[in-house]
Amino acid sequence: MSNPEILDINQISKHFERKVALSSLSFSVKKGERVALIGPSGAGKTTLLNILASVIEPDEGQVFLDGEPMQEYADRKKFAKKIGIIRQQFDLVGQLPVIHNVLAGKLADWGFAKSILSLLIPQEKEAAIRSLERVGLPDKVYERTANLSGGEQQRVALARLLVQSPQIVLADEPVASLDPARAEDVLFMLTKLAAEENQTLIASLHSIDYARKYFDRLIALKDGVLFFDLEADKVTDEQLKELYQLKELVR
Amino acid sequence: MNKLSLAYELHKRKLLTLLLTGVFIWSLFAVQWSTGLIHGSGLATAGQIFGAMFQPDVSADILIIALESSWITLAYAAAGMSLAIILAFFLGIWASGVLASGAKSRYFMKGTFRSVLGFMRAIHELVWAWLFVASFGLSPYAAVFALAIPYGGILGRIFADMLNDVPKEPIQALESAGASRIQCLIYGYLPNVRANILSYVMYRFECAVRSSAIMSFVGLGGLGYQIQLSLDDLQYNEVWTFLFFLIGVVVLIDLWSSQLRRRLAL
Ligand SMILES: Nc1ncnc2c1ncn2[C@@H]1O[C@H](COP(=O)(O)OP(=O)(O)OP(=O)(O)O)[C@@H](O)[C@H]1O
Ligand SMILES: [Mg+2]
Repeated sequence: MSNPEILDINQISKHFERKVALSSLSFSVKKGERVALIGPSGAGKTTLLNILASVIEPDEGQVFLDGEPMQEYADRKKFAKKIGIIRQQFDLVGQLPVIHNVLAGKLADWGFAKSILSLLIPQEKEAAIRSLERVGLPDKVYERTANLSGGEQQRVALARLLVQSPQIVLADEPVASLDPARAEDVLFMLTKLAAEENQTLIASLHSIDYARKYFDRLIALKDGVLFFDLEADKVTDEQLKELYQLKELVR
Repeated sequence: MNKLSLAYELHKRKLLTLLLTGVFIWSLFAVQWSTGLIHGSGLATAGQIFGAMFQPDVSADILIIALESSWITLAYAAAGMSLAIILAFFLGIWASGVLASGAKSRYFMKGTFRSVLGFMRAIHELVWAWLFVASFGLSPYAAVFALAIPYGGILGRIFADMLNDVPKEPIQALESAGASRIQCLIYGYLPNVRANILSYVMYRFECAVRSSAIMSFVGLGGLGYQIQLSLDDLQYNEVWTFLFFLIGVVVLIDLWSSQLRRRLAL
């Protein structure tokens, strides 16, 4: 009751030309859950997240968001309040100062005049500065974004998500291009902020250790189908070995 | 059959290169090198002209004329460029299709505005100058429009191409943060191309100064006009004074542009 299903994925399939990326995938996610998507390369993780972010449409099946079919959210600004996404570090506009990248999270609420004015005199600056403080970058507000390190850039992306404040956060390999220390740091922050904001989090990861450490539930995909869907501490090493095993070795 | 077309797809580029190289070599043979290209008595004149290079006329009245006509040349170039930038900004954005929401309207916008830009730059500034002088006489507007139209076409085309080459990821991120097309433009596309377009505009400004000088041969005032007058009088020393002024203006613009670029790169 207190944990209603916020996302219901119903028999979705997607193929590119003849290649099947997802086939009849179904599962649902409760509000506030932290889900890690794992699976070998090409398993369909990015495809799934792109469908959830409505960047692409499934060939078959439906996704229900807060009880309503995804098509109901045709308005991009309305959708941005529901779902936000963070990818690898190329998401930011490097030529802009950090503050504008953070304030881009407000664009859904702003009209044209306010967004152009903000490039000259940053609007709702306090919100941006507060979220930069929360991700530990209070001294980089006016720095050119491209000059920041990869880890710092991911934190800026997190600060933007804080400003955007969606109910669900999708993360596609958010730490793929970071060294282990930075990666752990960013993941810790991502999961902590999601918990503080009562957000639902779905992240694809290549590291099983991180997935087990920071997430409640692991959903494993392999060749576009659900391989397992278990609580993080119920997953056995056997299952993981089988998940990542190469086809040739199975025989 | 299939294999053949695949091979064709793979080597399409090389075939084209080969073809173009062939055309180039053939064109070399088409020129009649032996006769008429250089005539004998011209050599002496050439000697005189280049000799004068080391003795430019530096008398006060020539210097004043040179200064004045440099100013006119520069003013035409600056006015022409300003208009060209405004034209290029809007036409370039439309021609890039980044403001279109659907695939169909994007295709339509790109097609239409790219053709407009193509038409503008297909005609050389000198030809525009003739047309304008013929239609509204020797007025500064003729020079300014004659520059603005082809330069607007060139700048707009480059601008549109730069906008189309902006990396997709940041734009997609802005879209998923709820940004509209025009918000994506001002927060994503424009900051991305700003430095490049600025340095290209500065380079084009240099070209515009040279064009503006040349255009004044048509009879519009400026360095070119003075050069022509001096040439008619066989005053090669004066010609060189004006040429050095032209070089000076171009060098100054180059200095200014590299300074601007350095400041933007920060
Ligand atoms: N735009 C596309 N066009 C053609 N095929 C695609 C496209 N996107 C994905 N695919 C294919 O769909 C399958 C699933 O790809 P997807 O990117 O979802 O995998 P992934 O699990 O994210 O892999 P990785 O861990 O390497 O990121 C792959 O076989 C891929 O080749
Ligand atoms: Mg992927």
